[in-house]
Amino acid sequence: MNRTSRHPMRRILLSAAVLVALVGVFVVRLVDIQIVRAAELNEQAQEARSQPVTVYGARGDIVDANGKVLADSVMRYDIVLSPKQASKAVVEREVPDPADPEKTTDVVVPLPELAAELGAVVGLTGDQVQGIITAELAEDPNSDYAYVAKLVDTETYERVKELGIPWVYADEHPSRRYPNGAVAGNLIGFMDSDGNPGAGLELGEDECLAGENGEVSYLHSLQDWVKIPGTEIVHKQAHDGGTLNLTIDTDLQWEVQRIAEAQRQATGADWATVTVMEAKTGRLLAVADVPTVDPNNPSAIDEDDRGSRSFTAPFEPGSTFKALTAASVINAGLADPFSKIVAPYRIIFPNGANVNDSARHDDQQLTLTGVLIESSNTGMSQFGELMSDRARYDDMLKFGLGSETEVGFPAEASGDLHGDPDDDWDNQTKYATMFGQGLTTTAVQIASVYQTIANGGVRMPVTLVDGCENDDGTETTPPTQGEQVISAEAAAETSQMLERVYQDAWLSDKWNIPGYRVAAKTGTAQVPDGDGGYLKGYLVSVSGFAPADDPQFVVSVSIMNPVKMNSSAASAPVFQEVMSQVLKKYRTVPSGAPAPELPATW
Amino acid sequence: MSAVQAQSLPAPRRIDHERPQRRLRPAPERAARAKPRLAYAVIALGGVAVIIVAQLLLSIAVTQGAYEIDALQMQQTTLTRDEQKLSEDLDRVESPQFLATKAEGLGMVPNSDPVYLRLSDGAVLGQPTAAEGGAGASAPLVPNALIDGVPLGDGPKAGETPLEGSPGHSGDAATKAPAGAPAPVDGGLPTPATH
Repeated sequence: MNRTSRHPMRRILLSAAVLVALVGVFVVRLVDIQIVRAAELNEQAQEARSQPVTVYGARGDIVDANGKVLADSVMRYDIVLSPKQASKAVVEREVPDPADPEKTTDVVVPLPELAAELGAVVGLTGDQVQGIITAELAEDPNSDYAYVAKLVDTETYERVKELGIPWVYADEHPSRRYPNGAVAGNLIGFMDSDGNPGAGLELGEDECLAGENGEVSYLHSLQDWVKIPGTEIVHKQAHDGGTLNLTIDTDLQWEVQRIAEAQRQATGADWATVTVMEAKTGRLLAVADVPTVDPNNPSAIDEDDRGSRSFTAPFEPGSTFKALTAASVINAGLADPFSKIVAPYRIIFPNGANVNDSARHDDQQLTLTGVLIESSNTGMSQFGELMSDRARYDDMLKFGLGSETEVGFPAEASGDLHGDPDDDWDNQTKYATMFGQGLTTTAVQIASVYQTIANGGVRMPVTLVDGCENDDGTETTPPTQGEQVISAEAAAETSQMLERVYQDAWLSDKWNIPGYRVAAKTGTAQVPDGDGGYLKGYLVSVSGFAPADDPQFVVSVSIMNPVKMNSSAASAPVFQEVMSQVLKKYRTVPSGAPAPELPATW
Repeated sequence: MSAVQAQSLPAPRRIDHERPQRRLRPAPERAARAKPRLAYAVIALGGVAVIIVAQLLLSIAVTQGAYEIDALQMQQTTLTRDEQKLSEDLDRVESPQFLATKAEGLGMVPNSDPVYLRLSDGAVLGQPTAAEGGAGASAPLVPNALIDGVPLGDGPKAGETPLEGSPGHSGDAATKAPAGAPAPVDGGLPTPATH
């Protein structure tokens, strides 16, 4: 007592200090737990008591110009069973008691019966289902996971659920569906079996379409799995993908594909492409590639046929290209539709180039119009050589050749203008390029050339994707600024010459569309074999536009190697049918005045 | 406080002088304050009780709501599934392949030679030709894996009302149409080959 009371102050101070220090430790710890590391600890606690759940961000739809869905996301289910449980668990079912109909009794259902029931729903036999179980058990006796069926639809899923087999469950598996089948399948592309974009716009526009899966976790009640309010934690916000608007019209696309495929089969061709473009805007209304992949079932078709050759397979265009050369020469002021030449069957030019026409004939006195009508190579060469190679090459570039179109389709080809005219064109190529050989273009590029001629010489950017509507409401829009490639006069004169081709060329009765003025040109191009020579078959084509007095639509048809009809007579009916359908569908006003007369000979 | 310092300061001396009388005075009794204290305690405790009860009730309500939400969400899931099932069916029958096959089943054929009537002068543009019943539309030229195995139900079933456009109806329409129409059509109206 004496000792303690000797320094009372010191004792108080000491205990106060200890107290303060202790409280301080607690406060620091409290602040640390409650404030500094609160989020982290909360999450840990949540994780310990709950499992994160995936919230699926749906992949965006692909819709056509009228909003019709070409591709959308659906929920599919993978049916899974637990082999371990299947082999051990005893499944009982309530059935009416045979002794007393009003009561029920539990009956043990044997595994083979359950397997047969499950198999019947998912399209397997009971033995197959049991085979899955035994195979999986042989590999791992404790296995709890084996697929019975993948990507089944909602109906099957519900029927599986109704069976009420405790060792069978289903995983959600977001999937893709193409309600219109092969309609525009060449453009849309498809998803591979792992759910990754495999081809076409699915691949090229993945940035727009892809959704982002989110993740949440929450606490739930023990027995009935009800979410406890206020316990949900969003680990990652899910985002739906954007909607991709195409310029394609589904009905027209189907009709065009139908026409193209019918003709491909009738002529025994390897493949065919048809492009329908709006003349004034460059928007693609239909792009058919047959055979066409059905994105619901891509493996049903040969791998080479699963893409869009209109964009990815360049070819030597042949005589349809003469329209471009004629337009260039007129634009340069070096000729007009009345300019005269003499076209022999064969010409050997001073530089050694050897040009001949497709069929033997006497010398013809042709105008430029006549050269196009007769599709004379020798005649075209004499007009083409009025321009320098460099000037013609520059015009080709301005027409959009030699580079990918604005569409930017996956694996789109740029076409090959055979290098630089000064360095790489040999003497034969200098002339061959005037009538569409010795260089390659894609079908869409050729359509774009005709669009330029149809639209008063203004080339519009080729548009397939009309924009992407993101889920936050923002929207992208394609470029709409055109470029004057040739003068309006040169375009008008070329158009008038092409009208004469339509009326007077040898196919005129095969592609007649009553009531409309049409401008068109055929082509029968040789196909390079890759070793400097040419194959036996031809690529036959027709490109043109209508109505010629006020061009609205460009149609370009290419058919590869139609063995039963190896000339542009194979492509002309397709052009006629497609163009008729387009004019009919869009209620185009028939032409008034007849096409102007232009002399073909002199 | 030392005395030296206190003396050297003149002002506080007067205060020192008066202070001793004030020390140790009895505190005034505050009997009157006992009653309010109880009231405050009751109010405070009552408030706490009310808060606790309110929270309990709210908690019960929220929990009840959670079950309601859960039930509704289950219902929503089921309905979403139903909706997906139905819209899948609808999309299937909306596809051009299905429509074309159905149309052909009803005897319709595509016509690739449109003919136009110009209203300003009544001119007929194009050669009216009968549409040929091509195998065109129904042939599986544009595949669609989704409609494989979907029953097409060709033509109107027995007992169904015949659709307009069946032979009897169009026959009437064809005879009525020319009356009052100043159409200078040569060779009469085109007759569909399907009849």
